[in-house]
Amino acid sequence: MAEFEKEVSVLVQRVVRDISNAFKKNPNIDEIGIIPCPEPRYNRSPIVLVETKLGLESWCVKFLLPSLHRKLLLYRQRKNYLDREALVDVTVTLLLLNPDFTTAWNIRKELLQCGVLNPEKDLYLGKLALTRFPKSPETWIHRRWVLLQILQQCYAQKDCRKEQGEGYLCHTEATGSSQNLCTHQARLLHQEMAVCSEAAGRYPSNYNAWSHRIWVLQHIAKDNVEVFLDELSSMRLWVSMHVSDHSGFHYRQFLLKALVTELCKSPESTATATLRQQGITTSGERAHLKDTRPAFGLEESCKEWQPGVVTVPRLFDLEVDFCSELIHSYPGHETLWCHRRQVVFLWYQWRREHPNFPGNTNEDDALHFCGISKDNGQACSSTETSVNGLTCGGDAMEVDGLPDPQDATLVKRGLLMSCSLALHAEHSYVSSLLDNCCNLEQRRFALAYKKWLGSIIRQ
Amino acid sequence: MLFSCNFLSSASVVHEGTPVKDVVIKPDAPSALILDKHADYIAAYGSKKDDYEYTLSEYLRMSGIYWGLTVMDLMSQLPRMNCEEITEFIQSCQHECGGISASTGHDPHLLYTLSAVQILALYDNVQAVDVDKVVQYIQTLQQEDGSFSGDKWGEIDTRFSFCAVATLALLGKLDTINVDKAVEFVLSCMNFDGGFGCRPGSESHAGQIYCCTGFLSLTGQLHRVNADLLGWWLCERQLPSGGLNGRPEKLPDVCYSWWVLASLKIIGRIHWIDKAKLRAFILACQDEETGGFADRPGDMVDPFHTLFGVAGLSLLGEEQVKPVNPVLCMPEVVLRRIGLEPDLLS
Ligand SMILES: [Zn+2]
Repeated sequence: MAEFEKEVSVLVQRVVRDISNAFKKNPNIDEIGIIPCPEPRYNRSPIVLVETKLGLESWCVKFLLPSLHRKLLLYRQRKNYLDREALVDVTVTLLLLNPDFTTAWNIRKELLQCGVLNPEKDLYLGKLALTRFPKSPETWIHRRWVLLQILQQCYAQKDCRKEQGEGYLCHTEATGSSQNLCTHQARLLHQEMAVCSEAAGRYPSNYNAWSHRIWVLQHIAKDNVEVFLDELSSMRLWVSMHVSDHSGFHYRQFLLKALVTELCKSPESTATATLRQQGITTSGERAHLKDTRPAFGLEESCKEWQPGVVTVPRLFDLEVDFCSELIHSYPGHETLWCHRRQVVFLWYQWRREHPNFPGNTNEDDALHFCGISKDNGQACSSTETSVNGLTCGGDAMEVDGLPDPQDATLVKRGLLMSCSLALHAEHSYVSSLLDNCCNLEQRRFALAYKKWLGSIIRQ
Repeated sequence: MLFSCNFLSSASVVHEGTPVKDVVIKPDAPSALILDKHADYIAAYGSKKDDYEYTLSEYLRMSGIYWGLTVMDLMSQLPRMNCEEITEFIQSCQHECGGISASTGHDPHLLYTLSAVQILALYDNVQAVDVDKVVQYIQTLQQEDGSFSGDKWGEIDTRFSFCAVATLALLGKLDTINVDKAVEFVLSCMNFDGGFGCRPGSESHAGQIYCCTGFLSLTGQLHRVNADLLGWWLCERQLPSGGLNGRPEKLPDVCYSWWVLASLKIIGRIHWIDKAKLRAFILACQDEETGGFADRPGDMVDPFHTLFGVAGLSLLGEEQVKPVNPVLCMPEVVLRRIGLEPDLLS
């Protein structure tokens, strides 16, 4: 028995060393995996490196994991000493095999805090672990912690940005709502979006991947309209290819909601938002997605987002049309019907909160109705502005109480844009769909949607 | 640990192109409850573990013990478990900071602090750990916005809000934290569909909904839920097989069946689903040979799904097991002993 244990110990040390060397030799390893192999092959290391893929033969895992696990826990209980280098190597191997081992990630956090580890290295380790375990909650949790460390460092260095050195370049205010991201933040953002996409592709409706993506936007892009619009645009293709991925569609709902909030917040962007690519977008990712399958309406969609102007009603129009298109092309997908509900609900709520804003998507009409001249860019903000005798305020406007009866067209339009119209449109959409539909699943979801319209969104 | 479904086998098979969204229950699937087998399965579980599997799941050991003990108690088989050994184990897992870890040598976390306190409550022995220190630990984890981080490293999740108030409620110490702020945070995670996610803006998820409705029950704030809207979303989780899933277009699963069912019970809408069909689905997930429940018919059993299978049947009115409390997933009789009666909507 003692003989056997000694053999195991030698084996384990060898494997840990081989893994560490493999990473030194090839810092571009981008995927890990277990190679099914029940028996050791004579005198060969169980570590196999093929180009950028690192494989571990399965026979050794059952020795490796318990042995390293015990080693690390003994260290944690101060019953066994491990130097920093050993700690780094042992945690790498353990986490690649069992990434939900929280305490191992915590040990790495401590190593990071005392400067032994580089935060970027840990993001890389997490990324690798996610190639095998795309849901692993602890890997995502650790990732957020590391990102916060980097961001804090980034903010701390903004004051000394003129100093030389390869520190983080931050050109923005720490918490400001600037539309610009510093180059470092932009790179981080791009990297995180790529990691999320990869994990989302490996496991459908990957809750942890998509909620991480939202967290990243909330913490790095904050209220950056351009990033949100770019995400909305690049995700259009992804969701078209994953019409059952509820998390992907929820992400669109999140983006829409955030955009609506932002577009209604700052005066110059209430009705219009100027979009200009600033090299901070996730276009690389889009390019990557492009070659996987022919774009589903991508050509038109990109055109829609790229021109200079996006209005809130236009956003909703486009999304509802997009949804109809998908429901038509991929009948019987519950996710698409859920998405429709969410978008219509959001739209309905927005209309109720902004009764002065035309449902009309024509920009000039929209501006005119709100009494906004295009040039001064004034907006339908929460402060009341009285133009053309119309009160345009954030508070609900009584349609009955419109002061100027001569403005008949405006009154008419005010009624036209009322919520019930949108509701009617939805009812007739379902009715006509049901008239020509024999797909049982599709009918089931359409009927449920109709019922939902009647009970939840009724006035 | 909450919703650590398939924690042992992360290699889920993805059927590209042809999504499989429900299961078919075979005519020869189990349709009667085989309690003795389940009790034997749980009683033997700890002893026959091999080194590798034991290591893989050690990071959630404390929750594993809670699953096993709770299902044994629901089946009136708790005396078969080694109370003394387990109590000593829990004591060895309490740290200086007051928090409790999944196992000795692991770091403390709210998830395992709750599991440990639940186990001790089953044994009517919460005093076995330093209760004041547990309370202090939880207090230090509350953030300015009312949310809770799971441990000292700062991750925020509505699951942890639930863990915090559930632990404190079991200890009779809910007044030691800022409950109003905590409620405010949980409500900020409510979505348009009436459901809740892990953080503001995150997607609704049956597990998170269970945590949030449970949280609002314990804090007496269930009236802030849009019960009809949420009930609508929850009862749409039922699939033709009778099983419930955790989100649209996911497969039905015994553990999600519990979270959805318990949430429906909490908001007083349990009658909105087809109970008989759900019962048949849960029963079909039993393994007649080994005992225990799997996530779906024919899959490998584990203690996690065994607890939620039995607890689900209890909520559906199964009389061979003790009535379970939907908020804390513990026998009602245990909560009565403590004097804890979480709110339910009618
Ligand atoms: Zn499950």
